Amino acid sequence: MLALTERTIFVLMVAVFGSITLWGFFNMYRIVRRGRAASKFQNLIPQAVKAFLEVGLQTPVYKSRLILTTFHAFIFFGFSYYLLVNLNDLLEGFLPGYSTAEVSTGIIGPLNFLGDVLSIGVLLGVVVFLVRRFIAKDKRLEFNKDVLLYPAVEKGGVKRDSLVVGGFILLHVGSRFTGQALRLAERSIINPMQPFASALSFALRALPPSAFTSAIHASWWIAIGLIVVFLPYFIISKHVHIIAAPVNLGLAKQGERGHLDPAVPPGAPPDLAPGAATLADLAWPRLMDAYACIMCNRCQDVCPAHNSLRPLSPSALEINKRYWLNENFTGFAGGAASPPLTEFAISPEAVWACTTCFACVRVCPVGNEPMADIVDIRRRMVNDGAELDSGIQSTLEKIGKTGNSFGQAARNRAKWAATLDFKIKDARKEAMEFLWFVGDYASFDARVQEITRTVARVLKSAGVDFGILYDGERNSGNDVRRVGEEGLFEQLAEQNIAAMSKCNFQRVITTDPHTLNALKNEYPDYGGKWDTIHYTRLLAQLIDEGQIKLAKKLDYRVTFHDPCYLGRYNKGFNPPRALIQATGCEFVEMPRNKENSYCCGAGGGQIWMGTTPPGERPAENRIREALAALATLNGHGGNGAKPDKPLLFVVACPKDVVMYTDAVKTTGNEGKIEVKDVIQLIAEAMGEELQTSNSQLQNAVPA
Amino acid sequence: MNIVVSIKQIPNLTDELEINAEGTGLDHDALQYVLNEFDEHAIEEAVLAKEATGGTVTVIGVDTTGELDGALHTALAKGADSAVKITGDFPRGTDSHTQAKLIADAIRGMSPDIVLTGVQAADDRDGQIGPMIAAHLGVPYVGVVTGVQVKEGKAVVHKEYAGGVMAEFEVALPMVVGVQAAHQPPRYAPVSKIRQIAKTAKIDEVTGGAGPRAGSTVRRMFKPESAGHAEMWEGSPEEVADKIATLLAEKGLVKRG
Ligand code: SF4
Ligand code: SF4
Repeated sequence: MLALTERTIFVLMVAVFGSITLWGFFNMYRIVRRGRAASKFQNLIPQAVKAFLEVGLQTPVYKSRLILTTFHAFIFFGFSYYLLVNLNDLLEGFLPGYSTAEVSTGIIGPLNFLGDVLSIGVLLGVVVFLVRRFIAKDKRLEFNKDVLLYPAVEKGGVKRDSLVVGGFILLHVGSRFTGQALRLAERSIINPMQPFASALSFALRALPPSAFTSAIHASWWIAIGLIVVFLPYFIISKHVHIIAAPVNLGLAKQGERGHLDPAVPPGAPPDLAPGAATLADLAWPRLMDAYACIMCNRCQDVCPAHNSLRPLSPSALEINKRYWLNENFTGFAGGAASPPLTEFAISPEAVWACTTCFACVRVCPVGNEPMADIVDIRRRMVNDGAELDSGIQSTLEKIGKTGNSFGQAARNRAKWAATLDFKIKDARKEAMEFLWFVGDYASFDARVQEITRTVARVLKSAGVDFGILYDGERNSGNDVRRVGEEGLFEQLAEQNIAAMSKCNFQRVITTDPHTLNALKNEYPDYGGKWDTIHYTRLLAQLIDEGQIKLAKKLDYRVTFHDPCYLGRYNKGFNPPRALIQATGCEFVEMPRNKENSYCCGAGGGQIWMGTTPPGERPAENRIREALAALATLNGHGGNGAKPDKPLLFVVACPKDVVMYTDAVKTTGNEGKIEVKDVIQLIAEAMGEELQTSNSQLQNAVPA
Repeated sequence: MNIVVSIKQIPNLTDELEINAEGTGLDHDALQYVLNEFDEHAIEEAVLAKEATGGTVTVIGVDTTGELDGALHTALAKGADSAVKITGDFPRGTDSHTQAKLIADAIRGMSPDIVLTGVQAADDRDGQIGPMIAAHLGVPYVGVVTGVQVKEGKAVVHKEYAGGVMAEFEVALPMVVGVQAAHQPPRYAPVSKIRQIAKTAKIDEVTGGAGPRAGSTVRRMFKPESAGHAEMWEGSPEEVADKIATLLAEKGLVKRG
């Protein structure tokens, strides 16, 4: 038990530091409250249960970095258990004669054992983290050269904080553990239920007997007193994630990933500017993000912009927000405005480097959504007439004028179909089962039109009752929305919905995953509620049902790239794989597949940008990954040995065809690997079953 | 500062242009109309001038398409203060003489300090509207301008000559400027703003009288007739090489071994 003065000091400390901490949490609450309204959270209880399980099982952390996550799990479980341990320590300090160090029986025995083992787990975990940061200097904790950093971050704030937190944990847990060993050493006993503390106690027996009492008291203070002193620091430390992260996970985005929140919260006054210029323009969960962020850079690891050395880092964005808030804590809580986000959180250039691939949001262990900030910042820039990339501006203008990103006349939209030897139904005139929303790239890009025709031919041969909107279709607006042009998106959505509402059909199929996303997830808000699927899903079903017969077995070795908006956004992982398997091709997964697929770099308006920045482009990186994966398969030497069958890079998105065909060329891999859309494999495997033809192309074959 | 911008709509050039049945002009009804690109620069330069010196920008045009409102709303979204459209029986492709007269008549009463317009438009390529407005108003005109600065009663305009030579003019106001390019790329007008303006803004309507009509008529309009035609050869490099060799031999340029 502690002496009376010690107990008095402790109680006073709790009162003082506790009050500061409560005041801190109160201000944190006021800070988060300054954000704009978020879309309604529903099912709070199931969400809370889900978050509790996620935290308990550490599943969100296990989405990447498996080994480090295991060490984190050591610390997490140890720390959670320490709630109990610290309670016990308090009793030891305040109850006369209460001591449990030597108990090895009853309920305390196994509890002691857990405490002992977990202490070592925590210490080990923290040492690993400190070594990795300060000795091994893990590169992943660094930022690209031109990433905008808030001065406090630039000066190594995260490093210092990590050192403080690491040091705190080492002292706290180490001291508590040593205290146990001291108690055992004092009485020269060992406790089989505290094996590690017992081991240490042997060494401590060498202390002079008079030293034990003060050493035990010191260990108590360093373990428990330290927590109290540390509490106020907690508010400005990344360690606050132990509270903010579970809350954030409980409040994580609900509904479809591909559904962006509107640019102004529903019910907001009409003059509220869309999107975000300053911190207070962000929805409040985005301010919570800054507190939940553990500054692990996992989001940066998976960011295609970061990996192509662009000045964008989703983690830097969150970290900058947090450090700005730390330095303007009471001011912002009290209503002061922040400077523009583009001045301290993320550079304008970085804002325009995001492909909206969702990888950062998906991987973040604490449920942060850096991408949502970026889209909101774009929205405000567009609204305020900020200077836009010339390519993006001219594309938006083209879409505004002509309804498509190619600036072509609407009546040219279905020109690709003119050379087919059958006429595709006009959805505006006839009823049909499937309305095929073709999309801009599939309709207008000369490199993709042949693939679009193949889709039509396969559908026709399979007896699918389908039609298209002809000139009635417009750009779906998916990427328009993601570059921040909310008004144009709404206009396009309304126009498409109006056109589609006049037609008679049961379901919608799309070739472009981007249009899939808009129609499936965002059009319902505007009254367009249809059952929309990607054509790969329909085809997989038709093959299953025997409506498409594959006459030929193909002999390629292939890998498949999950387009972001088909895979990660809309969970369309399996149908394309099922299609590939059905053709008999040998299938190899790339290391980054499905949820962890790597963006081609086209999304979020990037394909419209007027400039190509230097550095390895995401698509080039992906082609190299594919070649490596395809080369390591059994029976095929990886060292430049000639492959025994042709290699294919299979995609299921018209933009991917463009991006990767180009990347194969720019990486000098022409002839080594070919880019094909899934549909081309199916068509080839159908052989004679593919009855229709492309008449004009046949005529064009030179005599 | 009272700034007036004269605009007009022209066929969208990314569209395939169709010739009318008589072969004397474009088949206007089959075409989509957009704002003349040079006029977009004129609007931008006007808004920049207003931002620099204050004043108001009025955008005016002859409604030849029934769709001029869209262009006027866009101009308002970019920072113009008021919009005027001249209505009457003016078909698509109304000649520049008529348009210049209608505009000059409509703006005379506005007593503009400076009138900006696109230096030319792709539909008639005559670059006449600006000079003719100036003539009707009896004020000076400078064309092919790439930057305007207005200062008390005077404008300094930059003009680009061929061969990369620049000139700076100081002209007493009022004057008419034919804009080649604004000194900044025309800004983007967010659609939400345009839609908002479309709901609330008022466009003043002026009924136009009869125009003088152009002194010339188009006798025949046609697409270029190609003199020869190109044949595309496809196939592997070997096959194509073989075809080239055969052709050269056929023409007697080389002997095939
Ligand atoms: S946003 Fe998430 S993934 Fe990125 S650094 Fe913060 S916690 Fe890590
Ligand atoms: S959405 Fe993709 S590109 Fe954008 S910040 Fe996140 S990971 Fe990077």
